[in-house]
Amino acid sequence: MTRFAGRPIALVLLVLLLAGRADAQAQARAQGKAQRFPVFDPERIFMMGDADLDGRLSLDEYRDQLRAFPRMRAAANTIEPMFRRLDADHDGFLSLSEYRKVFQRRPGGAPAAALADANRSGPGARSRALTPEQERFFESKVRPVLATHCAKCHSSSAAKLKGGLRVDSREGLLHGGDSGPAIVPNRPDESLLVQAVRYRDDDLRMPPKGKLPDAIIADLESWVRMGAPDPRIGPVAPSPPSVDVARGREFWSFRPPKRSSPPVVKRADWPRGELDRFLLAALEARKLNPVGDAGRARLIRRVTFDLIGLPPMPEEVDAFLRDEAPEAFERVVDRLLASRRFGERWGRHWLDVARFAESSGKTNFTYSHAWRYRDWVIGALNADLPYDRFVREQIAGDLMPAEDDRERASQLIATGFLALGSKAHDAENRGQFLLDVIDEQIEATTRAFLGITVACARCHDHKVDPISQRDYYALAGVFRSTQTCSGTLAGVFPNFNASPLIELPHGAGVPAAVPSLRPEQRASMEERLAALVRERDAIPPGEMNRDRLRRTTSILSMLRYRLALDRPGGLPRAFAMGVCERDEAADSPLYVRGELDQPGEVVPRGLVPVLCDGTPPSIASGSGRRELADWLASRENPLTARVFVNRVWLHLFGRGLVPTPDNLGAAGQPPSHPELLDNLAVVFMADGWSIKRLIRRIVLSRAYGLDSTNDPRNFEADPDNALVWRMSKRRLEAEALRDALLAVAGRLTLEPPVGSPVARTGEGLAMFLRFTGLENSDTHRSVYLPVVRDQVLESMALFDFADPSLVTGERPATTGPAQALYFLNSSFVIRQAEALAERIRPGDGDNAACIDRAYRIALARSPTTGERERALGFLRDFAAKAGGVAAAWSAFCQALLAGAEFRYID
Amino acid sequence: MHPTGFSRRDWLRSVSSGFGYMAFAGWSTLASASDAKRSPLAPRAPHFPARARHVIFLCMNGAPSHVDTFDHKPKLAEHDGKPSDRPGRIPGAKLMGSPWRFRQHGASGLWVSELFPRVAAHTDELCVVRSMQTDLPAHPEAYLMLHTGSSQFIRPSLGAWTLYGLGTECDDLPGFIALKPTGRNGGAQNYGSAFLPAACQATRISSEGQPIAQARIGNIRNPRLDLKTQRLQLDLVQAMNRDLLERERVQPGVEGVIESYELAFRMQGKLPEVMDLAGESAATKTLYGLDDPATADFGRQCLLARRFVQAGVRFVELTHGDWDQHRGLKAGHARNARAVDRPIAGLLADLRAHGLLDQTLVIWGGEFGRTPHGQNSDGRDHNNKGFSLWLAGGGARAGLAYGQTDELGYEAVEHPMHVHDLHATILHLLGLDHERLTYRYAGRDMRLTDVKGVVHRGIIA
Repeated sequence: MTRFAGRPIALVLLVLLLAGRADAQAQARAQGKAQRFPVFDPERIFMMGDADLDGRLSLDEYRDQLRAFPRMRAAANTIEPMFRRLDADHDGFLSLSEYRKVFQRRPGGAPAAALADANRSGPGARSRALTPEQERFFESKVRPVLATHCAKCHSSSAAKLKGGLRVDSREGLLHGGDSGPAIVPNRPDESLLVQAVRYRDDDLRMPPKGKLPDAIIADLESWVRMGAPDPRIGPVAPSPPSVDVARGREFWSFRPPKRSSPPVVKRADWPRGELDRFLLAALEARKLNPVGDAGRARLIRRVTFDLIGLPPMPEEVDAFLRDEAPEAFERVVDRLLASRRFGERWGRHWLDVARFAESSGKTNFTYSHAWRYRDWVIGALNADLPYDRFVREQIAGDLMPAEDDRERASQLIATGFLALGSKAHDAENRGQFLLDVIDEQIEATTRAFLGITVACARCHDHKVDPISQRDYYALAGVFRSTQTCSGTLAGVFPNFNASPLIELPHGAGVPAAVPSLRPEQRASMEERLAALVRERDAIPPGEMNRDRLRRTTSILSMLRYRLALDRPGGLPRAFAMGVCERDEAADSPLYVRGELDQPGEVVPRGLVPVLCDGTPPSIASGSGRRELADWLASRENPLTARVFVNRVWLHLFGRGLVPTPDNLGAAGQPPSHPELLDNLAVVFMADGWSIKRLIRRIVLSRAYGLDSTNDPRNFEADPDNALVWRMSKRRLEAEALRDALLAVAGRLTLEPPVGSPVARTGEGLAMFLRFTGLENSDTHRSVYLPVVRDQVLESMALFDFADPSLVTGERPATTGPAQALYFLNSSFVIRQAEALAERIRPGDGDNAACIDRAYRIALARSPTTGERERALGFLRDFAAKAGGVAAAWSAFCQALLAGAEFRYID
Repeated sequence: MHPTGFSRRDWLRSVSSGFGYMAFAGWSTLASASDAKRSPLAPRAPHFPARARHVIFLCMNGAPSHVDTFDHKPKLAEHDGKPSDRPGRIPGAKLMGSPWRFRQHGASGLWVSELFPRVAAHTDELCVVRSMQTDLPAHPEAYLMLHTGSSQFIRPSLGAWTLYGLGTECDDLPGFIALKPTGRNGGAQNYGSAFLPAACQATRISSEGQPIAQARIGNIRNPRLDLKTQRLQLDLVQAMNRDLLERERVQPGVEGVIESYELAFRMQGKLPEVMDLAGESAATKTLYGLDDPATADFGRQCLLARRFVQAGVRFVELTHGDWDQHRGLKAGHARNARAVDRPIAGLLADLRAHGLLDQTLVIWGGEFGRTPHGQNSDGRDHNNKGFSLWLAGGGARAGLAYGQTDELGYEAVEHPMHVHDLHATILHLLGLDHERLTYRYAGRDMRLTDVKGVVHRGIIA
């Protein structure tokens, strides 16, 4: 026995104990399903040891992992030599590929090794070359049998393919037909082909005409036993293309946007720019007229909410009302665009699209580093990062050159977009987990940037858009070749799919998620850890109870993780979620009906042809994310700019020019103003993809400044206001509402917080998190509130916060009784109302002036005489009936905040 | 401008505190499509005459064993201890006869095990589907599948679809209520509205593990003001809202706000009132098992369900678990069955007594069943190819055993009913055609049953 002999088994048993789910694999095998990603996945085991999630094992981590197994305690002195031997590059750490050697050490024997082999023999992996003997055996004993006795019904040349099985390639046999794989290499007894020719099973006898001679059967058995060596590598016959790409490109959104000159309008004095001319022309064509311009108080309230998500302060309103210069409004807009509050508002819009959250959903493990992506988005918008670069960094920031550590860190954080989707970390089947992650990434990427859905092509060619299943798996290959770094601790049950995080460069100067441990904290944690390890090691092997071990392992891994967040010397390390390249790029097979056990032909990595002008760029090396990013962010891409300007339009007018912002494909709705959309898109690109200048162009239009009042004739012709004959009244989003409540109470903290409450809680299960108290007491802007999947905070959920598991370009705006109860009864609203009441009553006794102040703060306008009278009457009445002047003022202020006017942007 | 010459607005202007929500909601069905869009809960006519107007879903989290409850398998007892030919993920697993005796009950002669002695007394009301199937033998996937018809995508809950399809008839309570919803197995997603209007999602009361007797509703009480004083304040709010409406005329959002305040105001009184069981007689409480600590919690849930339905709530879901007995089946299933048997029997009897059973579809079941072979000497594993679930009332054919599993109970062999089929059939009983109940999202007309689902007419009375 070699010195390595015990190790794989020790590790495997460890995993069995911790995961307790290997039986699921056994079950699937027993059911005859192909298992190409066994539980003994080296990556899973590796992650169980990687306490600090930096994607490598230190000697300490390695030792800790092995020591969990009683048999290894005896051999403790061999651990370090083993480590040195595995550490091929002598950097003092084991990378995953170095670690994999553990599983390759013992040929044939150990289960781990066998399964690792099975893993590699999956589709998409390169087959090893055949030895001459194997080749001879196949050619003389196997090929003729398959050709003579099977191919008539089971090959590409069959008149009618039976049972979906093709024996004319290795892939065909491995994938098998309707009953499952025809052969399982090395396992004749489990191979359907062998079972069939043996003629023992009444339901499975092949060939149907009669049993083959025993010698032939024995040959087939031997062949499978030797691993079914087969030189016929290559895809099974490709399915005929069902998607007409050339015709598909004719669809409006798949053609490049064109600049056209704005139409001539009758009311030549109305338009302020070309944007207005497009809108007015469409109205005039329907013989409609836009309503009048909004009053200035209404306009400044509108634009302030729209641009920074907060109400204007009374002084700001006054200044604007006094400013009679023609460029007064421009000055307001520029002030708002320059405000740091701008990124918090518009960043949140993007976070909806990016399905940002700080937990995985489903089993719900925390993503305690996700907040860095949130801050990156806010920062990018404040810095007016050009949109093409904004896109590129999120897909391939890790592959882009960086000037310095700070820029490098920023680009790494940006790739968090791909890593923070919803995931079932408790998925037992690793292959299924990886396919689901890839699917989520494809869905998020295509919907967010391209406004089309590609994900339904996972199982079949797209029903409406010219996107084939091949296109889907071409894209899947890109993400299959990408390592998704989402973190989470492998030691916390039931997490079977942890992954490393990305450590940010030291010189980046990014803030720490949590303050470093004080020496005494550190000491006490280390003590606790050592005690736990001692306690665990004292348990006799026979009494190692699974539940107890799980518990201990969870606590140990959380402790180790926390300790590892500080560098020796106490300085904090900084991590981010994101992606990086896998060691080897690999194309994806096309999974029939999207099912893991139905892999078909291998599809080369690539982009979606219908969206490419001419031949799609080929991917020579690497995952292809760089090419994907370049293509998404290219001026040649017909969708990217259109989708984004449409998103911006939606946030400023309450309705997109294309009313389905996440679907510009055939299943979406066509644009109301196609030329306007194109012009905005073309100018946006020509203007350096500047988001701020795009917004500026739109809000300075005459259309944006329209009043929101009704006009019966227009309403009858266009009740949805698709033609923009007025400004639509819009309900404030959850964040704007909560921020506005805090702002009018004078209690809003504008300085952004560092990190996130989720980060301070650390890694683990989100079901134990309770943020209700924080929600009521925290005074930072709502964009900084924790976002935990399936546990959205009340004040957010009540007002249609976007489901953080879905790409959401447009939130619904519901109105319901639970919202009313919130305004009437929640302690949060009552507290803000009381604060507002204190703010407006400096004690001068002039009730009318106080009422004026309240209106000006809460609604950015003065009350009418009637409103003032009514308020005075209410105060008298309420004070008399409900005891107390102070209570009456609070009740009045609360009524102002509860009213519809406060909750809507006019 | 308005076809009746009398607009919602005119009407709103005239009302103050005595706000008639019912009449108001009725307007929505007359009003334009865009009106309907903003009042997602207005009552709507079903596609065809409905058999059931309400649903009570008794969800057994963790998957109860069919071969120990409602699917009698004499062969399994006969082969007890023999190796299973379908051992699944337990190599060498042995068949395990049920530790509980089965007996036929009632005129229908349905077989029920001794785990459910009191429910057994109602067999002639039950429609036992013994041929249920779901896609995956894993809890989160199957639980989501049972609730939303999809384990892969985020889709609206059955309750949300029901509310979307029929609206609510209840002017002072939410239309979809989930008691003690689980936070696991997909959690909130099981009760969510996904792309449907948010108002269709369940109002969740209490949570798994919390005694229902301690349940509290968010913001249901003002900490300072009594209802009379609050009315003063609300009148001011509504006066301001009406002014706004007056000034700006067509503003659906403002009308919605006015409407929601009145419902909310009434809910404050109604919801605690419905949840207060003080007015129920001692006999009723005993009927539901409130006098026994073992049955009190689920009994209270069942009694609340009856009260909600009585008050007009469309869809109520109750949860009980954990039924996931991989080991300790004898003790675990006995404990679980004991906790729910009397409350469920009480619920059926009480619904009948109140004349509600005919219009209320009661559904009992879990996300899948359990294997005929044993596990860990006294447990059973997950079985998704065949399991049992029963319906009662609401147009389900009473006293029927529908479908069969094979002789050991592994797989449905007669009338296999996939969860999609169950959904289609439930919607059918509610008067909704599962192929026509659609919502346009991401460019597709989405359905609860996706592209699948067959109505099993055999179980419809």
